[in-house]
Amino acid sequence: MRLTWMIGGAQGTGIDTSATVFGNAIASAGYYIFGNREYYSNIKGRHSYFTLTISDRRVKSNTQNVDILVSFDAETVFHHFADVKSFLIYNKSVENVKLDTVQTMEEETKERVKKVLGQRGLDATVSSALKYVEGNGVKLIPVNYDEITKKIADEFKVPLSVVDRVKNTIGIAVSYKLLGLDIDFLIKASDRIFKQDLYKKLNAKAVEEGYSAVTSVYDLKPLKVSDERYWLDGNTAVAIGKIYGGLRFQSYYPITPASDESTYIEAHQEVLMVDPKTGDKIKGTVVVVQSEDEIAAINMAIGAALSGVRAATATSGPGFSLMVEGLGWAGMNEVPVVITYYIRGGPSTGLPTRTGQSDLLFPLFAGHGEFPKIVIASGDHAEAFKDALWALNLAEKYQTPVIHLVEKTLANSYSTVPKHELGLDKLDIDRGKLISKADLSYRRFKVTQDGISERAPLGTTLMYYTGDEHNEMGHISEDPENRVIMYEKRMKKLEIADQEIPEESRLKVIGNKDSKNAIITWGFAGSVLEDIINESGLDATAIQIRMFSPFPSRLVTKLLSGRDKVIAVEGNYLAQASSLVTMFTGITPTNYVLKWNGRPFLKDELENGLRQVINENVKKVVLYGGA
Amino acid sequence: MEALKQFKPEWSDWCPGCGNFGIINAEQQAIMELGLNSERVVIVSGIGCSGKLPHFMRIPVSGVHTLHGRALAFATGIKLSNPSLEVIVNGGDGDLLGIGVGHFVSIGRRNTDITVIVHDNGVYGLTKGQASPTLLRGIKTKSLPKPNINDAINPLFLALSAGYTFVARGYAYDVKHLKELIKRAIKHKGLALVDVLQPCPTYNDINTKEWYDKRIYKLDNDTGWDPVVKAESETKDKLKKAIDKSFEWGDRIPIGVFYENELIPSFEERIKQNSPSYSQYYPAAQQIEIDRKPNTLVEDILKEKRVEY
Repeated sequence: MRLTWMIGGAQGTGIDTSATVFGNAIASAGYYIFGNREYYSNIKGRHSYFTLTISDRRVKSNTQNVDILVSFDAETVFHHFADVKSFLIYNKSVENVKLDTVQTMEEETKERVKKVLGQRGLDATVSSALKYVEGNGVKLIPVNYDEITKKIADEFKVPLSVVDRVKNTIGIAVSYKLLGLDIDFLIKASDRIFKQDLYKKLNAKAVEEGYSAVTSVYDLKPLKVSDERYWLDGNTAVAIGKIYGGLRFQSYYPITPASDESTYIEAHQEVLMVDPKTGDKIKGTVVVVQSEDEIAAINMAIGAALSGVRAATATSGPGFSLMVEGLGWAGMNEVPVVITYYIRGGPSTGLPTRTGQSDLLFPLFAGHGEFPKIVIASGDHAEAFKDALWALNLAEKYQTPVIHLVEKTLANSYSTVPKHELGLDKLDIDRGKLISKADLSYRRFKVTQDGISERAPLGTTLMYYTGDEHNEMGHISEDPENRVIMYEKRMKKLEIADQEIPEESRLKVIGNKDSKNAIITWGFAGSVLEDIINESGLDATAIQIRMFSPFPSRLVTKLLSGRDKVIAVEGNYLAQASSLVTMFTGITPTNYVLKWNGRPFLKDELENGLRQVINENVKKVVLYGGA
Repeated sequence: MEALKQFKPEWSDWCPGCGNFGIINAEQQAIMELGLNSERVVIVSGIGCSGKLPHFMRIPVSGVHTLHGRALAFATGIKLSNPSLEVIVNGGDGDLLGIGVGHFVSIGRRNTDITVIVHDNGVYGLTKGQASPTLLRGIKTKSLPKPNINDAINPLFLALSAGYTFVARGYAYDVKHLKELIKRAIKHKGLALVDVLQPCPTYNDINTKEWYDKRIYKLDNDTGWDPVVKAESETKDKLKKAIDKSFEWGDRIPIGVFYENELIPSFEERIKQNSPSYSQYYPAAQQIEIDRKPNTLVEDILKEKRVEY
């Protein structure tokens, strides 16, 4: 089963907290959750919304169709009414609000709403929108929030301003009751989230009020849970993965949607460890530096890596643009540094708080000159955790920069992840040819069979680094023969990585392996396809590419050959991953399902798009879902 | 000393008479006289003639020749990961005060325990003599097509206002004096700047050795000059005096220590305050695996994220 719940409202009015309380209650009843937050680049006032999917099985996507919408303001109704399929909970006092009076809405959105309503001969007011959805068979649930909050204020003898936020709790309680779950889960969840005694009491009361306002519809039963589950958003998953993987230095410059990762690490910078000598528990420090810009961020991380420390930075497109010179230095000097690259909408400032997959070719080819670079991309929260550690291993093993791609949707969404998916016990740390001692005969760039030299940290012996072409010692050398030798030494590492890293680990195959329809995809789109194939039995073999450099050419060639259709599913205009498939395998997609409106792939719209491709052989489908 | 015997230095490719020779000599002597363990010393440099300095050191100390303007960022990462290292940055005026001026200012806010040596010659040498940020407006050095149209940065004033806690100026042709300044800068707890006036015999035909020799005088010879802040209450007054002194330029140019204050916590001390384990288990001092298994315990932080039933 799958139920889609949505809550909307102005940024800064507690929408997030309410979604957290609601999600917490549902998860504690044993259901899996996937939740995604959509918001403007704005602090307060603009429309934000949270979509939450409830399922009895592991779930990794939302749908465009919303079963239950919880709203408090007119704007939420205007943004989302057309997507509501079953219940629309709204504030009775906004019924008469006209679209034109909603100042926070963008003109382009208003025009579109007018058009939709106009097609049914309706004017642009909340009551018309409500009529519209009623016509679609949606049940309207008006809530008199003002009356209920006043009642609570009177009962607790507090001013109305204090109980204003309690409105949200009333709304979620009404929606919660529809599900048919026991009130206790919601009371307890509210108790866990609200810290102050007064707010605990006020919200408990609000839960009761909302819960008693309607009758149940869905008849959800609590589920038995045998495993431990964690709430993981992408930023936190990567942060914990890095800490577990031994990251001890992170530098960053504030940027959406990357900063939360770094601030999480700083908040947890004193980490608990087992002392290798005594087995006792000790504490160690992860240094986190908020640098003056991204140029400093990457170069600080490189400096830390030279000291033998696992080091990384986290950024997004605009920040990475500034890091490219440093990236080249790391390539030239064979420095293991990790860049967690959160993809948002570009170019330039683009859509700072929205998602997309437009930054694949850029990081892959970033930097002047040729140097090896490893690029991986995560598709879900568990992958983000494991890949963070993988990136640190790959960087040290091949002594080269690693770029870990995570989309904004993955960063800001969360899911309840069962512990076993994190595979804590299975994860190893591979520090490659790191040595802790060397004598004066040490040569940092000694030419070896596999191109990888022993790497001693600064402070252990004499060594030199330079961005100039250099000899084995690390001194500048422009000698042509030396140039060829050192060039090959560096590039060879990518060939070795290609030989050593199993191709099976570089991609994920989803669904029936022998379908006539193959899908090439990557990142979060892989999660959505996984849900589509598992839940709806779409006849397709989806290949989610997880490593773009070195590219799993042989396996991709094998997997794509003999298919009727090769469909590219990507969150960009150019179908960038598919162009890489063509570059490395010679295979070109037959069809495309693409999306670049800044919103994540939604399960139902993607499924519809794929059915058009598979059943009607539509060449290219462009998706527009999401408010 | 065994290291010294085995060590075979590179040939320095600077122009004959270059001020860099004075700076490298003073720096080497300072390191030797302080008795620093040579493998614990890391010289970090930028790009340009001065950037090659780590390669040309005639004593066995490690060198990291970085990117144009970015040496301070690299040095910060090195030092904060392993505070037991002695980190010295060498960069040109174009490097540290032009392309890298953002880092030059920002590192002052941190007061990281690093020594910064500016090779201050008024020109971009390696690119054939363009005006650098320290060249005065109206000056036309020999390869400029027109007199310099930009005003000059005062590196000492900039450093003082940015938060450097040791600010000094030396002269490349007074190696003995410069050596003592560098020694003091290295010993200083916190961020130290040594701005070194350095003739460029190839491209700066205005601020030549002769030009400087006539003008330079030593602050040490003035018995009334005391740049060291000994109590917090003296800070403002000594800063003011240092700033005032930093603008003395013309017929007389002072060299020596302008300001010194160890009462401001270094960045390393600030990290310790946030994370006490940094004293003993700073990043480079931690072993992060035992037989390839992570020894970091994440159960507690995962517990914060656990779904409660």
